[in-house]
Amino acid sequence: MSIRVAVTGLGMFLPGFPNATAWAEKSELPTDDPRKPSGLPFDRVNRRRASQMGRAIGDAVAEAMAAANVDGVTTPVIVGSSIGEASAMLGLLDKMWRENEPMSPAVFTVSVHNAASGLLSISLKNKGYTTSIAADYDTPAATLQEGIGLIATGTQAVVCVCADEASPRSLLEHAPHWDMLSAAVVLQPEGASGALAHLTVDDCHEDRSGISIAPAALGEGFSHNPQAGMADLVDAIQRAQAGTLALDRGNGRGYRVTLDT
Amino acid sequence: MRPLLVTGYSMLSALGRGRQHHLDALASGTTGLGPSPIPLEFATATGDVKVALPELPTEMQPWSTRLARMATALLQDIDEPLRRAREKWRPERIAILLGTSTAGAETTEVAYGQFVKGGKFPRDYDFQRQHTFGAVLTVVRKLTGCNGPSWMASTACTSSGKSFATAQRLIASGVIDAAIVGGLDTLCTMTLQGFNSLQALDRVACRPFRADRNGINIGEGGSFALVEREGDARVLIEGVGETSDAYHISAPHPQGLGAQAAMHDALAAAGRKPEDIDHVNAHGTGTHLNDTAEANAIKAVLGTDVPCVSTKAYTGHTLGAAAALEMAFSACAIEEGFLPPAIGDGDIDPKIEVKIPTEKTTGKFERVLSNSFAFGGNNVSLLIGAP
Repeated sequence: MSIRVAVTGLGMFLPGFPNATAWAEKSELPTDDPRKPSGLPFDRVNRRRASQMGRAIGDAVAEAMAAANVDGVTTPVIVGSSIGEASAMLGLLDKMWRENEPMSPAVFTVSVHNAASGLLSISLKNKGYTTSIAADYDTPAATLQEGIGLIATGTQAVVCVCADEASPRSLLEHAPHWDMLSAAVVLQPEGASGALAHLTVDDCHEDRSGISIAPAALGEGFSHNPQAGMADLVDAIQRAQAGTLALDRGNGRGYRVTLDT
Repeated sequence: MRPLLVTGYSMLSALGRGRQHHLDALASGTTGLGPSPIPLEFATATGDVKVALPELPTEMQPWSTRLARMATALLQDIDEPLRRAREKWRPERIAILLGTSTAGAETTEVAYGQFVKGGKFPRDYDFQRQHTFGAVLTVVRKLTGCNGPSWMASTACTSSGKSFATAQRLIASGVIDAAIVGGLDTLCTMTLQGFNSLQALDRVACRPFRADRNGINIGEGGSFALVEREGDARVLIEGVGETSDAYHISAPHPQGLGAQAAMHDALAAAGRKPEDIDHVNAHGTGTHLNDTAEANAIKAVLGTDVPCVSTKAYTGHTLGAAAALEMAFSACAIEEGFLPPAIGDGDIDPKIEVKIPTEKTTGKFERVLSNSFAFGGNNVSLLIGAP
């Protein structure tokens, strides 16, 4: 994909780093802080409905939108997540198998993959396009590709946010554990003002050579999160890096972005 | 944007596998709905796929699930156009853009049941290869050799409709030349219990737009379509509307404002007027709220004379697969020149002001709107046209 777009806003939530600015400054919250996302972009009712991951998505989206000075009412939001609301699903399965109890309709309605994007569109009163996608470790690349497709066909700004909740240990007992993270970028056409960087998403490469930008120092807990590549992108732009960055930390099909200022 | 050329499509549902089985059932008004194959503590009809599904190749057994085997069947049934596309386009220029709502939930719920009972998951259960949204993408990539961008849209009941819009954008912007689009979903206990908890399931075969309709039936199946930049189109995706209600997580806007906007956007994207539409394949789930809201929306956008049929009375609601399956039914209406009768017991609701034909309608149908609406207030309307 050789379409070059501008990145005009960044957002992030990691437990301990409530926003991208805190991450850039390595200003970690004290360990006695609850370290939970605020979920403030959601209205009160939908904040209650949103999962912790949904709230982290809301926080990152709001930060990125504010940084890019784009509005929540009309700007499309693409939510990328590998496992989505897996803990809600596990809760439902527990009710079903362990407790043999009737399912909670409230939990069922927010167990769908697009719960966060739906709740966010309701809270932001956004009546336009929104979507939720998934592609395992290629989700950051897919989210950017979907966003670039929109920009290339006339959309003026789009938020691409990637998030996964902490890995469900019971289902992934032999895989490395990861913690929740959420990271967002606002994409705009190449000539947009206020660009922090420009990027192109390159075709996937089995050959892992040629990566010139180091990933973010996320720490073991975050680095296995399938969305770490989006956090790496936010981090690289914050560090004003130019060159080639892997979007999958070696776990996917080898998608990468070329970044320049 | 230029229309998307649909050069092949496949269908799998409670009506059977393949185009002819579906045409026969649709023409004769024969439903595929029946008793649930899954033991339940409540009554409901379901639309389960009854045909035998192909096995995955031996080396792909770790990925073998009901969903993956459905994907295999759907790919086999577009093998010929896909072979031609692979001769024409490079593998990295053919995308795989699919939609599902439940992904591998059917496999995981069985495995989780064993985990709860015995403390261990089955030895052959693998969350990453059998549950995740990416698992089926891997299967499709391995079976086809297509290596372009690939992802799964998961916006509940609009999921597979999204795949057409994405493909249209990626082809228009020169990123790809072709794509396998569509979607698939399987029946599972969790989904049935979930919709039962919402008191949304009809105990008997669903009756969209009927006065005594009482809910949905869940179905399973899917449809894949091959879409290309150029080629011999069977039908065109002329435009897609994608909107949000911004109203409620699980209830539609009463006037169907988001649905109206989706239909308006599809018309605008296609450069068409309301009077150009010959038929609506309605979302038509069979719940009071959904059918009323959709009928209000159709009336506001198209008036009351366009024949509207919900094929969910034939297949059940196939969730993430519904938009793609109903695109295929819309394509059949255009190619074969008939609309299936709107089946279901009881009289049409007098408060439903759009035309619901209860007999098979023959004629020339050149442009069809196919609606899909989802949890989260997500709406997709596809405008399908004759080439």
